Amino acid sequence: MTPWMASGLVYASGLALTAGSITLLFIVTRTFNFAVASMATFGFYVAYTGVALYGGLPYQYYPLVFLFGSFLGIVCYFGLNRHLLRRQAAEITLMMSTLGYDLLLLSFIQMYADYLTHSYGLFPRRVTLNTHDFELFGERAAAIILPVIAIGLLTLLHQFMTKTRFGVAMRATIENPVLAGASGINSDRVYMVSWIIAGGMATLGGAFMAMAMTGTPTMGMFTIPLMFAGAILGGLTSLYGGILGGFMIGMTEYAGVFYLSQQLGPWVLGYRMAIPLILMAATLLLFPRGLAGIPLGKIIEKRFGRKRGESA
Amino acid sequence: MLKITNLNSGYGKLQVLYDLSIEAPGKGITVVVGPNGAGKTTLMSSIMGIAKVISGEILFEDVPIEGDLTHNLAKKGISYVPQMGNVFAELAVSDNLNMAGYLMTKEESKIKAEQMLEIFPVLKKFYARSAGTLSGGERRMLAIAMGLMKNPKLMLLDELSTDLAPIIAEKVMKEVARMRDELGITILMVEQMAKRALEIGDTAYLMVSGEVRYAGKADDLLHEPELCSMYLGIKAGSEDAIAEIEKPSTEGSE
Repeated sequence: MTPWMASGLVYASGLALTAGSITLLFIVTRTFNFAVASMATFGFYVAYTGVALYGGLPYQYYPLVFLFGSFLGIVCYFGLNRHLLRRQAAEITLMMSTLGYDLLLLSFIQMYADYLTHSYGLFPRRVTLNTHDFELFGERAAAIILPVIAIGLLTLLHQFMTKTRFGVAMRATIENPVLAGASGINSDRVYMVSWIIAGGMATLGGAFMAMAMTGTPTMGMFTIPLMFAGAILGGLTSLYGGILGGFMIGMTEYAGVFYLSQQLGPWVLGYRMAIPLILMAATLLLFPRGLAGIPLGKIIEKRFGRKRGESA
Repeated sequence: MLKITNLNSGYGKLQVLYDLSIEAPGKGITVVVGPNGAGKTTLMSSIMGIAKVISGEILFEDVPIEGDLTHNLAKKGISYVPQMGNVFAELAVSDNLNMAGYLMTKEESKIKAEQMLEIFPVLKKFYARSAGTLSGGERRMLAIAMGLMKNPKLMLLDELSTDLAPIIAEKVMKEVARMRDELGITILMVEQMAKRALEIGDTAYLMVSGEVRYAGKADDLLHEPELCSMYLGIKAGSEDAIAEIEKPSTEGSE
């Protein structure tokens, strides 16, 4: 595996989780969660705190990272989102409320970074967590472990949404909140669980991304356009589309930078974020409903149907 | 069973219902008819906590329910079958029934779903299929089955026969009458296909522009030629005309 590919896989796995988090909250609560930026940064800081203060590998702190994200999600839901949803607030209001929450979290992150410096003598404002990685099968462990965790999480989520009663109730609420309520499904609980899952995904995504990039208090602010690009590329109607969109955006950024800098020179590095955004724009021009809107079933049927016809 | 007194309600700043008083006696069918825009669906939405109640009182079994959350009303035994979006189109028929029995245990829900399949055998062959692939009539059957899953005390049926072929609509109405006669369920239904609904109904209300214009026996409303002609599209003037079944609504599509 080439270095860019390994880093790309790590970064894209993190971006996939954050884009999935944005999509999940949007389809369940109509909320574009801007706080995903600081939630992701907090994810990095939880993993970093664990490694810096207690030793070991970043991976062993991931359950804690997820739990902390869920906590941040619950705080946002009960503090803001729930009241606004009950008042049937407009989407723009819901979105702006999360921006406020994001700024609040960003302040806490800055304070926390100072606290780590003053109390423990750490330098948490520019951290490269990948120095704590190890080799697995001759490759960077993160390039293998993180995609596996991301796929495992997605599989778990899929099982939860399709095999458990509450998961099906979540899908029912997403599709038709009125009928779900009339069926006795408590939408309040569905929204809360969405925030728990989405919060966990966002922080875990941040912790993943910090294995491929420098962790800083503002890392979320710089990567949030790509998180949203992933969610939009995914179509904003399907959780799986969002996760795939995030992964594609992440991989395109790394692949694009690698190939274009070889062809055109290192100045391309300054425009690295433009590459996946151009991909997003081009995909949306072809498929306005994003990846989730691509009629894959019909395309396969048409292709294979024709081939069968030709051979017959 | 259900008593609504001086209800004023609407959506946001838009008031749709004005001083509406309606009563649905136990184990009977109460029919609310009226032209488009009369506020029939808003009445249902107000009962179910979806539309905003500005003032007035809604009593269910002598307990005020205005302002209750929709899922709490389901717990109290009120079942609602909306006009549009009355099934979860992306879920399988089996999951639709399972969700309708969400307040029961998994085992109870399974037993009840089997009972529903006995009542509506047409659903058996589509059990694993997504509800979005069903025809209009099959969907309506599924919607009623979902309503019945909860063992309701009161069922609110919103425009059950809209967009259905007359023969299917007839079948659906027979099922509604059977629900009252055999299961003893109290039913409040709003309908545009007035004649069919009034034929099976016990009590009737005619709503126009958010107000009640007639309250009385369902049968008697059919013999009010002026009201029938003006608001329900049933021609006045002769017994034959009263017996004439108005054409089904062609608005919307399934």
